[in-house]
Amino acid sequence: MKTASGTNRVRLNWSFLSPLLLPFLALVTALLVGALVIWVTSGNLLTVFDAYVGLVRGALFKERGLSESFIAAVPYVFLSLAVAVGFKAGLFNIGVEGQFYIGAISAVWMGQLLPGLPAIIHLPLTLLAGAAGGAVWAAIPGYLKARTGAHEVITTIMLNYVSFRFTELMVSGPLKDPVSTAVQTAPVAHAAEVWLFYDIPARLQDPLNALAVALCAAFIGFVVARALRRRRERKARNAPMVLTVGRANTRRAPTVFGRHSSLSAALITGILTFIFLPLLTRLWWPFTDRYDRLHIGVLFAVAAAIGVWWLLWKTTIGFELRTVGANANAARYAGMNITRNIVLAMAISGGLAGIAGTIEVLGVSICRCLPLFFSSGYGFDSIAISLLANNNPFGILGVSFLFGAMRNGADLMELSSGVSKYIISLIQALILLFVSAPPIIRWLFRIRSERKLIDVSVTGGWGGKA
Amino acid sequence: MELALQAKGITKRFPGVLANDHVNFGLVQGEIHALLGENGAGKSTLMNILYGLYQPDEGQIFVDGVELQFASPHDAIKHGIGMVHQHFMLVPPLTVTENIILGQESTSINGRPASQLSILQRRKAAQRIRDLSHQYKLDVDPEAYVRDLPVGAQQRVEIVKALYRSADLLILDEPTAVLTPQEADDLFIIMRGLAKQGKSIVFITHKLREVFAVADTISVMRAGKMVGTVSPAEATSESLAALMVGREVILQVDKTAAHPGQPILTVTSLHVRDDRQHMAVNDVSFDVRSGEILGIAGVQGNGQSELTEALTGLRHVHSGKVAILDTDTTHVMPREIIEVGVAHIPEDRQKHGLVLSFPVRDNLALCTYYRSPFAQGIEVKYPVLERNAEELINTFDIRTPSAETPVGSLSGGNQQKVIVARELTRAVKLVIANQPTRGLDVGSIEFIHKRIVQARERGAAVLLISAELDEIMSLSDRIAVMYKGSILDIVDARTATREQLGLLMAGVKAQK
Repeated sequence: MKTASGTNRVRLNWSFLSPLLLPFLALVTALLVGALVIWVTSGNLLTVFDAYVGLVRGALFKERGLSESFIAAVPYVFLSLAVAVGFKAGLFNIGVEGQFYIGAISAVWMGQLLPGLPAIIHLPLTLLAGAAGGAVWAAIPGYLKARTGAHEVITTIMLNYVSFRFTELMVSGPLKDPVSTAVQTAPVAHAAEVWLFYDIPARLQDPLNALAVALCAAFIGFVVARALRRRRERKARNAPMVLTVGRANTRRAPTVFGRHSSLSAALITGILTFIFLPLLTRLWWPFTDRYDRLHIGVLFAVAAAIGVWWLLWKTTIGFELRTVGANANAARYAGMNITRNIVLAMAISGGLAGIAGTIEVLGVSICRCLPLFFSSGYGFDSIAISLLANNNPFGILGVSFLFGAMRNGADLMELSSGVSKYIISLIQALILLFVSAPPIIRWLFRIRSERKLIDVSVTGGWGGKA
Repeated sequence: MELALQAKGITKRFPGVLANDHVNFGLVQGEIHALLGENGAGKSTLMNILYGLYQPDEGQIFVDGVELQFASPHDAIKHGIGMVHQHFMLVPPLTVTENIILGQESTSINGRPASQLSILQRRKAAQRIRDLSHQYKLDVDPEAYVRDLPVGAQQRVEIVKALYRSADLLILDEPTAVLTPQEADDLFIIMRGLAKQGKSIVFITHKLREVFAVADTISVMRAGKMVGTVSPAEATSESLAALMVGREVILQVDKTAAHPGQPILTVTSLHVRDDRQHMAVNDVSFDVRSGEILGIAGVQGNGQSELTEALTGLRHVHSGKVAILDTDTTHVMPREIIEVGVAHIPEDRQKHGLVLSFPVRDNLALCTYYRSPFAQGIEVKYPVLERNAEELINTFDIRTPSAETPVGSLSGGNQQKVIVARELTRAVKLVIANQPTRGLDVGSIEFIHKRIVQARERGAAVLLISAELDEIMSLSDRIAVMYKGSILDIVDARTATREQLGLLMAGVKAQK
């Protein structure tokens, strides 16, 4: 049968790209349907063109457009990572929006609590406070789920409302800025702010700040050196013969030596950064636009994605979380503590959401404070992003930027074409619809799928290759 | 000879596997045709092709002499082919009638097409089910809820479902894997009745005894190829087993006399409740010594599952005491029990034993991922996991495309080998194996039995729970019989007879 082998070949071809193909086609389809809606509602085909050109210009090419897209992507990254961690542990955390608020209010509280602290302490402390607030808040439904079986979808949704009202209460009551006329909290200390890229040369003049950056650089140097060493070791080991597991412990000497080499790499990177970075930024710095709001939360977001990837796919903690998520019975059989893992997964998830709120307050909020109307809607979009990225941390980085760019470009689109910016929500909803219902896309684009007898969840396979 | 179904030169490739290699298969009308083969031999693939679930890469299918191509099971059903899967496709909270008309509820009643929006003609459907059930002596109550039915009855519902869709040709995929010997015999009577009334049956199995009990023709597959078609009269168990496995198979377990040492597991007046709070294990006491296999025989559902779960920390102990060596493990977490040195081959491998979406590599370290050499601090050393997996895949002959393959896409026998490889290669003092060979083929059973005996010879205590009396009798040194949550008697395996154990399993205790 020629046809059979023919289709088989086509299937193999696209199966290689399949993880990316469906989301991409979903995006294209959603944009096409969006175009149709714009055309129908405006009665003019040119409006579609205007709208999409406006969208792209607003998102990427207008002044500070790209910066603003990145800024909007940051909370998306953290919140989607939060949702993804929950998903991986089999939990549907709908409460990231609420945890975002709790994170924000905890951060504001910590950010103004101890004036006079240097940034090297105050900023991490504030981030930690935001993370802790979100973590504790999310751990509540986690505990309820583990102990009583209360479904986390219900409890997290309900806690969302509690957290909105609680935040309002704090902003208008105990934490209200007595000086300001607006209902908002007092601004956080300058040392607790998330740095703007524009500010970095000035910030680095403080040796303590330079030290903080040097420490980060040293850490990155350490991680990179260690990863390189591991890769080298693995290649060397695979070359001659396969060693048995039992003998794994005898390779002590190179490990000790290797650890020293990583440490020295860290030390060198750190010292070089400490000495030269302040000077270099003084001499040349690309971010000279003082109205550019781009902040280092962007770097935090990338770090968080890498961190979550490492946690989920390289650590025993991630192994347990994923096992509990994939088959709780087997997890229990293997001796894992289900209660602890569910609470932990929710806490990590909530912690990430809390950091999102923290960065919004410390880096984006114009007053560097928490106003009464601090509406975001980021949390609910993030569930869509996480789904679209198939819970893959690096996919989340990309999709978050896409969503951030759309959110950011929507204003110019409305301005230049008269199309309501809420059309973006429509397009995003359509993307989500098409991604969560792949048969629609398969049918539209005539993609055949091999029927599977055993239902293997798509989430498991990814980690193996990384 | 009129062939009801014929497959010619069927070839099917999956990534990395040639599942069917130019397979020819012919089914005569009114016969029961047994299809024998080890797990992964390609039996299920062939049947799934005949049922339209897969499309063959090469080859032709003829039904009543006409060449056909099935794009989906729907086409196969249209041409009178019905399949009963090993895992039933039933919706437990619905009634038998609802389950049977599911998917057809608005298309036809009594073969007549109804309009798309017609009201469910439940009563007519129920009557037809009653008629079918009467005609073929299937004993199915159309009003019963599926969740209330025992496994055997659910299987009959599946058969009625196929007949309801006017199947003339039934494919039964390992129908006896889930049945007790008694239920299996009932099924054979039904199968013969169906064949007598002109239905043709393909009966997939790997139990030799069943083949001789019911089949008219026997086809044997091995490694994707059809290696022989014989009649039961000219075959023997040994010849079939050799055909299946490709070499001589020792059907009897070879083991030396036991040298029991000190008691490893001591259970004292154990009481355990089941999910419905009934006392499923009632005042059970026994011990297992190092270097011996204690078999627990009994009809399924007499408290064996609850006993195993209690011993491995998965179920709360109501009262009594469990001690492993000097450690009291009555009320401790499963991990502590594993750490004491207990290996557990669970009853339900897919529910407890494996994470189906995880690669073979991770499943092979499911209980040890956090310990040296698999982890350092909180970091899992995946390269070590990888090497461990490659080694175990070799020594245990696990048939998998790679260590990265999700374990869920392996055959049942290979899934079980993954568990056995993981559990029996650790340094363990006690092995608790519950139904370790259920649903497996001769080759895998032989292999797993050998491994269990090996564990005993290394000085481990083995607690073997099985509903297969043959398995218990050939492996155990002592046999305990469980009935309604209690141990009726513990006998020496060397002197025990099948009759004596059968009586005990039925709750009759011999007078001494």
